[in-house]
Amino acid sequence: MKKLSELKKDSVAVIKALGGDQRFMSRITSIGLTPGSTVTVIKNEKNRPLLVYSRDTMIALNRSECEMIEVEAGGRTA
Amino acid sequence: MNNNGETVIALLGQPNSGKSTLFNALTGMKQHVGNWPGKTVEKKEGSFVHNGKNYLVADLPGTYSLSANSDEEMITRDYIASGKADVICILADSSQLERSLYMLADYAGITVPCFLVLNMSDVAREQGKTVDASKLEEKLGIPVVSFTATDTRSYDDFYKALEYALGEETVVFADDLEKKYSDLDAYDTIRSAIPDNVIPGYSKMWLAAKAVEGDAPVIARIRNAVSADNVKTLDTALSKVNKGVVATGECKFAWIDELLSDAATNRQSKVSLGKFDRLITHHIWGKPVVVLIVILGLIASFIPALPLMGIGQLIGNIPDPLNETLLAAGCPAFIAAILCDVILRSVAFIVQMLGFVFGVTLVFGLLEEIGVMARISYVFDNTMARFGLQGKSVMPFLISFGCTMGGAAGTRVIDNWGQKVLTIALAWAVPCGAAWAVIPMLSTLFFGAWMPLIIAVILLVMLLHMWITAKVFGRSLVKAEDRYGMIMELPPYHKPKWGALLRYVFGRTKDTFIRALKVVLIVALAFWLLSYTSSGDISASILYKLGRFIEPVTSFFGMRWQTFMAFIASSLGKEGALGVLSTIFTGAGTISVGSVVSGVAADNINELLVANIPKPEALALIFAMTFNMPCIVALAATYQETHSAKWTARIALYYTAVALIIAGIAYRIGLLIW
Repeated sequence: MKKLSELKKDSVAVIKALGGDQRFMSRITSIGLTPGSTVTVIKNEKNRPLLVYSRDTMIALNRSECEMIEVEAGGRTA
Repeated sequence: MNNNGETVIALLGQPNSGKSTLFNALTGMKQHVGNWPGKTVEKKEGSFVHNGKNYLVADLPGTYSLSANSDEEMITRDYIASGKADVICILADSSQLERSLYMLADYAGITVPCFLVLNMSDVAREQGKTVDASKLEEKLGIPVVSFTATDTRSYDDFYKALEYALGEETVVFADDLEKKYSDLDAYDTIRSAIPDNVIPGYSKMWLAAKAVEGDAPVIARIRNAVSADNVKTLDTALSKVNKGVVATGECKFAWIDELLSDAATNRQSKVSLGKFDRLITHHIWGKPVVVLIVILGLIASFIPALPLMGIGQLIGNIPDPLNETLLAAGCPAFIAAILCDVILRSVAFIVQMLGFVFGVTLVFGLLEEIGVMARISYVFDNTMARFGLQGKSVMPFLISFGCTMGGAAGTRVIDNWGQKVLTIALAWAVPCGAAWAVIPMLSTLFFGAWMPLIIAVILLVMLLHMWITAKVFGRSLVKAEDRYGMIMELPPYHKPKWGALLRYVFGRTKDTFIRALKVVLIVALAFWLLSYTSSGDISASILYKLGRFIEPVTSFFGMRWQTFMAFIASSLGKEGALGVLSTIFTGAGTISVGSVVSGVAADNINELLVANIPKPEALALIFAMTFNMPCIVALAATYQETHSAKWTARIALYYTAVALIIAGIAYRIGLLIW
């Protein structure tokens, strides 16, 4: 298991678990990042939000909060 | 139906679902913007007539779900429960259907009639995605419309769906969703413990799912309604739930996947960023590109602004000849002065500034609508988060270098009210175009070659000011629990709907005009009365007496009564300070709003200033003017955008006080040097 923020550009992964407080989990779920969904990392650069693609959507995520999203590398391109 | 006999439609959708575009297209200029009672969230309502029937449209706050994590979500839920809406129009983005149907899944179980609008179907089609709306209708039991805001035929389908939903009182068919919920450990126990009618309009399924999610207000309502035995059962069941919100979220998306399995196709396989997105998200070029876009936007704002500015200048030419004509016709000087000096000059001033507001609202509204603003938010997220703001706030700050009123108008793209007010509060610290016209000139006059240093110090003080102001106001405007990091989708680019946008911009400009006129007239009249003398001798005015009276206090901040008057005048308009000083030092004429606004100064003003103001005092004045309230029109625009007299007054007083403190410091430093 890895943290989403540890993935390199262009890698594909499946979300395994979400952590953090109630509010964070609610927000991240409502934007479509739930366990089992596939994400593609589009951009992962320092001092910028992470850019991921999931469920037909380009999503910008704060870096530090990405640490609360656990993923397993591999999987089909979303 | 409400008391006015209007049928009420509430628009429900996630941010970027095209909700405001639909709202503008439906209601045009018949809009009213205010705040939800007791809440710091913007409330937009509008009306339209279709088939002889009157409709009221309530634009619910853009939220990602119906949980209880923010004021926006609570307002949305309470509004639906209040029974005020006859029908709810749920929006989803066709190009991101799976994700954006989450709102529908979260709504399922609410018994207020609804229908579904699949917005941006043109974008979806371009991406090779298809949706079978009639199949979805069949599965969901509610009308479903494929919708493109720019396509007039779409609206016929929209009205049909609306009328059908109202007539048949269609409710989302959610048995399949409940089957999925039933697989969760505690769901069935919780559901069976819930009595009827805990919250009107919300089914047991909806309440049970929210309880599983750990939704505190819902759990409290249920606990109040159930018998003592059941409270225990409920609490035990609830204690077993772990990460309930993630579990129900999985259920909702599983339900959505089933819905779409044979109703939608998706041909897109490889995802990549477009050329422009690659440039704007570039780690080096991103920020310069954003700054360039805002500057170009600012320049573009002048194109639609110029005609209005011209009209304003023309109006500004009327007062002098009119004054003479009136006096020649035997009109009392007092009345002629009020008409010409107060009313006409104020109108001229506002109309000129209004051109800029019109341009900024149009250009930056357009950037928001086509999807560029979300990218700007992404690029500046980290920087602006330090102030407790979102990335979009960078845009009003940059606009404020040109005009604070335009900056305030630009904050309308910020969807969180607290962050919007905080952005305006910080934007006031940015020296505007008028300051840039006066300050370098004054600095050169008094300090010659040291001018660049003074400008550099002003910019540093600006940053420090913004940082401190963010601390001072940030705590109450942007609550700690609202300061979570960015979780935002970058919407696909799409074409603007010009008609709706223009109607919206005209409506908004009209509102600003009316509000600004009220504020400016009151302030201008008060200032004029204070400075009016029948003899033309300044020392007979109330303003002079007041100035002399508090001189011991203002001297502490480095300003004698003359410069203090200039400081006061600069809060009406920066150019005005020179006119006031000119009047005082030449001893000719009254300080009128006319001289304040037009900044007319004597030919030998430079010599007069240098001869009458010592260097430390000049330094104090320069800083006091720069960081004073930008101008009365900016004050009015702030009121217009925040809808809060309290916050507008708070910000204005704060700025006046801080400007004096900065002036005091500059003065003391000046004394050490000279």
